[in-house]
Amino acid sequence: MDSTAFDVPGVAWAPVSDKLIGVRRLTAGIWLGLPLLGSAVPAVIFGGAVWIAPAVFALFLVWAFWLIPRQVRAIGYAELDDDLLIRKGVMFRSLSVVPYGRMQFVDVQAGPLTRRAGIAQVQLHTASAGSDAAIPGLPEADAARLRDRLSEAGEARLAGL
Amino acid sequence: MSAPWSPPPGVSAPEDTSEAPPSAPPDTTSEPVEWRRLHKVTPALNAWKAAAVLLGIAVWNYGEELAQLELPVLQKGLFVIGAIVLGGLIGFGYGALAWRRTQYGIGTDSVFLHSGVLWRQQRHVRLDRLQAVDVTQPLLARMFGFSSLKIESAGGAGSNLTLSYLTDDEAQRVRNEILARAAGVKRGEQPAGSPPVDAQAAPERQLLELSSGRLIGSLIRSAGVMLAVVLVAGLVVTVVVTQTFQFVAGALPAVLGAVGYVWSRFAGEFSFRIGISADGIRLRHGLLESKARTVPPGRVQAISLSQPLLWRGKEWWRLRMNVAGYGAESGQEASTVLFPVATTEELQQILPLVLPDLGTDNPLETLQAALTGVGDDDGFIISPPRANLFDPFSWRRQGIRVTRTALLLRSGVWWRYLAIVPHERTQSMAITQGPLERRRRLAGLDFHSTAGPVRASAIHLDVDVARDLLLDLAGRAREARRHAAPERWMQTRVDATAGPREAASLRAGYAGVLPTTPGRDSAR
Repeated sequence: MDSTAFDVPGVAWAPVSDKLIGVRRLTAGIWLGLPLLGSAVPAVIFGGAVWIAPAVFALFLVWAFWLIPRQVRAIGYAELDDDLLIRKGVMFRSLSVVPYGRMQFVDVQAGPLTRRAGIAQVQLHTASAGSDAAIPGLPEADAARLRDRLSEAGEARLAGL
Repeated sequence: MSAPWSPPPGVSAPEDTSEAPPSAPPDTTSEPVEWRRLHKVTPALNAWKAAAVLLGIAVWNYGEELAQLELPVLQKGLFVIGAIVLGGLIGFGYGALAWRRTQYGIGTDSVFLHSGVLWRQQRHVRLDRLQAVDVTQPLLARMFGFSSLKIESAGGAGSNLTLSYLTDDEAQRVRNEILARAAGVKRGEQPAGSPPVDAQAAPERQLLELSSGRLIGSLIRSAGVMLAVVLVAGLVVTVVVTQTFQFVAGALPAVLGAVGYVWSRFAGEFSFRIGISADGIRLRHGLLESKARTVPPGRVQAISLSQPLLWRGKEWWRLRMNVAGYGAESGQEASTVLFPVATTEELQQILPLVLPDLGTDNPLETLQAALTGVGDDDGFIISPPRANLFDPFSWRRQGIRVTRTALLLRSGVWWRYLAIVPHERTQSMAITQGPLERRRRLAGLDFHSTAGPVRASAIHLDVDVARDLLLDLAGRAREARRHAAPERWMQTRVDATAGPREAASLRAGYAGVLPTTPGRDSAR
């Protein structure tokens, strides 16, 4: 019932690639798995209360694995005639409207993990540092297409500052 | 007349370190640019900085050794003087070299500055991207009649172009010329190579001057001074009671910080004057270092009005602004001030400078509701009663009012705050919602402006209202952008793209006369 509040009538949201789930899980696995292993070694040796640390890390890991697919599926974007809409978040939600004409530049970024999965992040930069217009997890072809479309639309609707 | 802007071949990047012949300026620009030099006194004015730095280093690093040396005082003094002279000579030598390599020129579309001794830099600032022009007179330069001219563009920190030093007259002349060209004022044809005809200074009309009495009064009533006084008093009491000075050393940085802040407020905002000219808003201020700033029309991205609790009785407001190019410079508190302390009456004179038309039928009543009002009078959209869990006192105060030209965001019961953002100046917007807000069906609305002191957001609105507002405002912003005044502000478009109403209001606001919006010129 609540999700309707962040929906815009007449707008079809494009989802991002499910491969982002795998990438984010892998990242979380590395960041939480390593301390988990590291703290498990002394726990095995000493036992007892030392197990608390690896237990906490394991708990976070399970929570992250459960949360990540929901987060990724919550990301959506829509290209309107003049604006880009971006919807994000499960617990902390946001819905941004970024006009193409306000665009200063577009970034397409891919790290080693995302590149292996064949996805990339497209980010629109405006003159404001507050604008959060990043779409993570687009298939590379989509990312390139969106980048070109954004720069084209930005040029056509160019506004000053 | 103005040729389409074409980047000169080989100097397309703003920071080009190509190995152009270092002596002669590259004559690759398509337009005739008369290259000029900064004033000869520049190395001398800069030399004292190098001397001070070297002296500082010498004292800081070797002060103790020097004090322990068994030498007569005269000899130690000679050491110090030697450090100053050496620093001065080094600074002067380098400055002279840098001066020889520095040249600037003003073209039809850009200002050029070529500088650098080892690392050559060629900086071209497009005039239609100019955000503000400052003429600064640091204390020493001021005593000898020299100024430094700074052209701000929106490229983030360090994106300005500084010409220091010029004589006062020269700085005025260069500023007028830059502003006239940036405004797109058509000038008569000049034969190439002839000395440029001086651009006339745009007629200026001073609106308000801040009296030093009110400045001091406002500072006394501000939190910073209260803190400083409490700190100093606490320190004195501690010293008297304990009869020792051991606490003084510990508390000294805090006290110095507080005193420094108050002093910088006082010195920076002393004799603050605001005026209007065809070139835009003119701000002049400063006790020791004097500044004259010009912010052309349409360059103010957002303004905020704030009122600390103790200013309430006097009905004083502090006006600050977001100007792209100013905000990126941290520590420049004074440069984002539109007017330090204004009464409600004076607001009615200042606000039209930034926003010629408030976009409501009763601007004064709207302003009053925005400044001091609570509840949903005059069309304010406030938080629903269920927001009282989060904001028990302020839920009736915090709200948003959308007019035809701008949006007003008010907040704060004790510390009143109002942000005004013209529709055509919002960069992007968003609604956000946390888990607690979701349970009460509330959401916040954020508006993103360029870097600066103004924060524009409405918190804890009804979620559906916020969503509808977001879409409505996105549409209004789109519409407003389409009709926005041109960046070259004197080339007012009176064609199909900008309605005659906008053009008229723009002229009325900026052609040296006060706006004649009904009900507003009753300020006095």
